Amino acid sequence: MYLNYLANVGRYIPELLLVVLMVGLILIEATYSNDEKNKKYIFIATCIGLVATLAALIANFSAKGEAIFSNSMIIDPFSTVMKMIMVIGTFGAFYLSSFSKDIYESLKTEFIILAVGVLIGGMILASANNMLMIYLGIETLSILSYVMASLKKNDERSSEAGLKYALYGGVSSGIALFGLSHMFGVLGTIQFAGMAEMITKLDKAQIMILMPSFILFFVGIGYKIASVPFHMWAPDVYEGSPTPVTTFFAVVPKLAGISALVRVTMIFFTVQSPLRVGWIGLMMVMAALTMTVGNVSAINQKSVKRMLAYSSISHAGIMMAGLVLINQIGVRAVVFYGITYVFMTLVAFYITSIVQDKYGNDHFDRFQGLAYRYPFMAVMMTVTMFSLIGLPPLAGFVAKWNIINALLSSRYYSLAIILVLNSAVSAFYYLKIVRLMTLKTQESNETIEGFGFLNQLVVVALTAPVFVLGIFWESVMGLAEGAKIFIK
Amino acid sequence: MISLASYLAISFALFVCGILVMIARKNIIAMLLGIELILNASALNFAAYTKFVNNNLDGHILSLFIIVIAAAEASVGLGIVIRFFQLRESIHIDDAATLQN
Repeated sequence: MYLNYLANVGRYIPELLLVVLMVGLILIEATYSNDEKNKKYIFIATCIGLVATLAALIANFSAKGEAIFSNSMIIDPFSTVMKMIMVIGTFGAFYLSSFSKDIYESLKTEFIILAVGVLIGGMILASANNMLMIYLGIETLSILSYVMASLKKNDERSSEAGLKYALYGGVSSGIALFGLSHMFGVLGTIQFAGMAEMITKLDKAQIMILMPSFILFFVGIGYKIASVPFHMWAPDVYEGSPTPVTTFFAVVPKLAGISALVRVTMIFFTVQSPLRVGWIGLMMVMAALTMTVGNVSAINQKSVKRMLAYSSISHAGIMMAGLVLINQIGVRAVVFYGITYVFMTLVAFYITSIVQDKYGNDHFDRFQGLAYRYPFMAVMMTVTMFSLIGLPPLAGFVAKWNIINALLSSRYYSLAIILVLNSAVSAFYYLKIVRLMTLKTQESNETIEGFGFLNQLVVVALTAPVFVLGIFWESVMGLAEGAKIFIK
Repeated sequence: MISLASYLAISFALFVCGILVMIARKNIIAMLLGIELILNASALNFAAYTKFVNNNLDGHILSLFIIVIAAAEASVGLGIVIRFFQLRESIHIDDAATLQN
């Protein structure tokens, strides 16, 4: 028994590395806080820690799926891929924070420490295999996020964002827990092992209790991925938080929630039962609502961050559409969508953040005439916007095409049509930025300090996958194909 | 002997009270208390189901975790409320409306 635990630690190295990184960063900050070298040490330590975690995850990827720690967690290719995406997203947000003026210089270490903590929570959620781990993952993710949202201590908008996040988050995770408690009562165990068969043997009364429980449980996850109607916090929190924090929120908690949702769906609903029918109906309605409400609300925004918040809501809706299928094709499409979504989001937020640092706000007008001053950056932003709409030959097109293809193969025609119509609506507000950048004359001739050579290089490096995944998508599709879910 | 049904009725009443507090009260501290009520309702459920339905310790352990996490959540929430109060001199939820356009 004890030897088993020790043997399992070998599969759990990425998370342990992150814990070591978090503790190490706290120690560095405590030791050198008044020293000039502090910033350099923190930067180097974070780079080494995150790269080592990524390497450990890559080493984990080829191994077979396995349930560790008495079946409480599962390390399988699917969770490993999702964790890799989350680590890349954290790295992007961390590099953005290192030069962003939106976070006070003295709080940058705090941002990284909290971000690593949230990442650990996301990793727990991505490989959770019982109710306790799901709840722990959600809470580790949430509690640290509240602090991150209110990181600008003296800014009213930032503390308000943190407050709203904490209140919405507390209620929705409480509601999810209430749902979980009734699930525990009916099923008699907190473990997820062997649930698909157990559900088929339940009688009618038990199913009548389980159905509302699953809806209550969905509230908690739906809040994390900002699914309609639990999305009200997202625009406020995204707008109020410092931009690197917003970047982080758009990637890590969202993808962690999606991976937990995928796992729960694949564990409970693979076998035919009344619950499966109900869940598919719930997912279809929620996905359609999330896409539509996100896109329609994004149209009339003045702040780019708020627009990107609504756009990330609609992207969560598209990923949820891939869940309706409950088979490996759907999972593959969702994983591929997650990979492309990270890079597109990072580029959009990088450029928005740099422009915002210069002018102090993120209104659409600040992008006027950017193409004349920084043609290269304007091209990158345009490419990202086209990819977010889903135009070929970019990554966003392949990702959307995959999901539509999967939906059509299982005859969900209505959802596919809603998805296509939504892409058309989204073109309206994404192209607004492109129009402002190219067709309007510039406001001033000032240089934007943020667009130094190094930062331009980073933005180009982040845009490259958007191009490459659009053309050479087969190899990444192989990666997504290999991201099989292991169920025990 | 108290039956399972009475435990469930009490926890459901607690849950409804918590939701009502979140909807009706405008005081942020009271809203944090509402969250505690919801979490305690689920903890009570887990403990009751463990006693009557299955006899392993899963549910009890989960209740303990819920108590710990509720404390962590309350402390972080109160910290944010104190920050908000220092900036706005109010703990009324309607004063938190600068972000809605």
